[in-house]
Amino acid sequence: MMDIATLHSIFTVLVFVGFIGLVVWLFVLKRKPDFEEQANLPFADDQKPKQQQKQESDHE
Amino acid sequence: MSQTKSLNVDYNYTVVRLFAVTTVMWGIVGMGLGVLLAAQLYWPALNFDTAWFTYSRLRPLHTNAVIFAFGTSALFATSYYVVQRTCQVRLFAEKLAMFTFIGWQAVIIAAIITLPQGIGNSSKEYAELEWPIDILIAVVWISYAVVFFGTLVKRNTSHIYVANWFYGGFIITVAALHIVNSMAVPVSFTKSYSVYAGAVDAMVQWWYGHNAVGFLLTAGFLGMMYYFVPKQAGRPVYSYRLSVVHFWALIALYIWAGSHHLHYTALPDWTQSVGMVMSVILFVPSWGGMINGIMTLSGAWHKLKTDPILRFLIVSLSFYGMSTFEGPMMAIKSVNALSHYTDWTVGHVHSGALGWVAMVSIGAIYHLIPNIYNQGRMYSIKLINTHFWLHTIGVVLYIVAMWISGIMQGMMWRAVNTDGTLTYSFVQSLEASYPFYLMRFIGGCFVVTGMLVMAYNVVKTIRAKDGALEPVAEAA
Repeated sequence: MMDIATLHSIFTVLVFVGFIGLVVWLFVLKRKPDFEEQANLPFADDQKPKQQQKQESDHE
Repeated sequence: MSQTKSLNVDYNYTVVRLFAVTTVMWGIVGMGLGVLLAAQLYWPALNFDTAWFTYSRLRPLHTNAVIFAFGTSALFATSYYVVQRTCQVRLFAEKLAMFTFIGWQAVIIAAIITLPQGIGNSSKEYAELEWPIDILIAVVWISYAVVFFGTLVKRNTSHIYVANWFYGGFIITVAALHIVNSMAVPVSFTKSYSVYAGAVDAMVQWWYGHNAVGFLLTAGFLGMMYYFVPKQAGRPVYSYRLSVVHFWALIALYIWAGSHHLHYTALPDWTQSVGMVMSVILFVPSWGGMINGIMTLSGAWHKLKTDPILRFLIVSLSFYGMSTFEGPMMAIKSVNALSHYTDWTVGHVHSGALGWVAMVSIGAIYHLIPNIYNQGRMYSIKLINTHFWLHTIGVVLYIVAMWISGIMQGMMWRAVNTDGTLTYSFVQSLEASYPFYLMRFIGGCFVVTGMLVMAYNVVKTIRAKDGALEPVAEAA
């Protein structure tokens, strides 16, 4: 049977690998326009559309 | 995609309004209590030899009032507002949302009744409330989670905006922290004993205590920051990618830092060292988030000149950066040997609480109030500016006083003569700190005056005729 220290070590390695995976996914695999759309979410429900910028990628 | 539609969703603003108004009210009560305590430390006779009016009874009431009444009401108000607006959907389980309001106010009233009577567990800092109140907190908190996550589930957008990730992380973690740390064996209706003992009890307490700072006072308010800073600045957040890294790094690291509150105690040495290392690493995501918030303004710095609400929000981030630099430094064991148990700690807490937490909340509430009361702006922009300066001057006076007093205390306590005896007695260090306690009291008066100005402005805005306050024309 595995002792608690081994389990903790495995968990630590998994968290680290997960974090590196996240960074790779964010900066390498995912496209920038997706993020621009998401970053504009606070303005998406304005009644008067008055976003000053980054509008071009919103209308697809 | 579905985000281009022009919306007129019928949001539930009733609960948001109630929490927003109580935020201001409890802010005045909690900070007013702080000023009273500062006065008692300078003029000890002010406790009038009355048991329930002494510093030791009122101090936990002050901390509970500012953290759980003022700060947490602000989090309830803004999270219910932000989750509806960024998910473009009405609140889930509205009656349960109303219950969270009534239940939370009941918790606060119960704290006001019990703490001055000395009912509570004083070894659990920031978790002093007795077990029946703890159960009510747990019930309200789980209801809060149901309302919040239920709203996320029925959202009309494909993506969950980053502010909601921070709010969600804060809600889940605070539930876990509260339930684990409050485990107790009741011996009567007003008395209980923690199920943990000795060094384990201390470690559980500071795992709770530091993560109350990390998740309630940081993650929750970062959620606020990620919505209200872009919204008030009129531009999206500087880097959405950075905000995702910020979230996961912060969540993964904060949970390990609590043992830095127990340096040089009975806690195992390695646990202290882990806490120190994790606290120092925590500097990186903290500053990443701060830079992301401040840089949102890049290219629009001129707005700071005309918009005092934006100034509140951005200066709050500066204080956040300052105290998340100071914190890791104070967690280093050799620095902690000087700073621990001195006024430096008190100063650090208040640069975080009054500088970061209060300023970002105040900015968010100033943005929120006109929006939920059908107005274009607050009643008086000039008074917001007045509030900004009163608050800033107050906080700076407070922090500077505690820095000087704290470092001086640390130096005097550790000074030894050549024969190994202590150079100063404790009362000599107290005398040296005395003038700075007056300076702190004056700083506190500035802060509370600012809150009263805010209350006047809020009341005037709420009582104005629907739509009577026209929005300010945007400066080109």
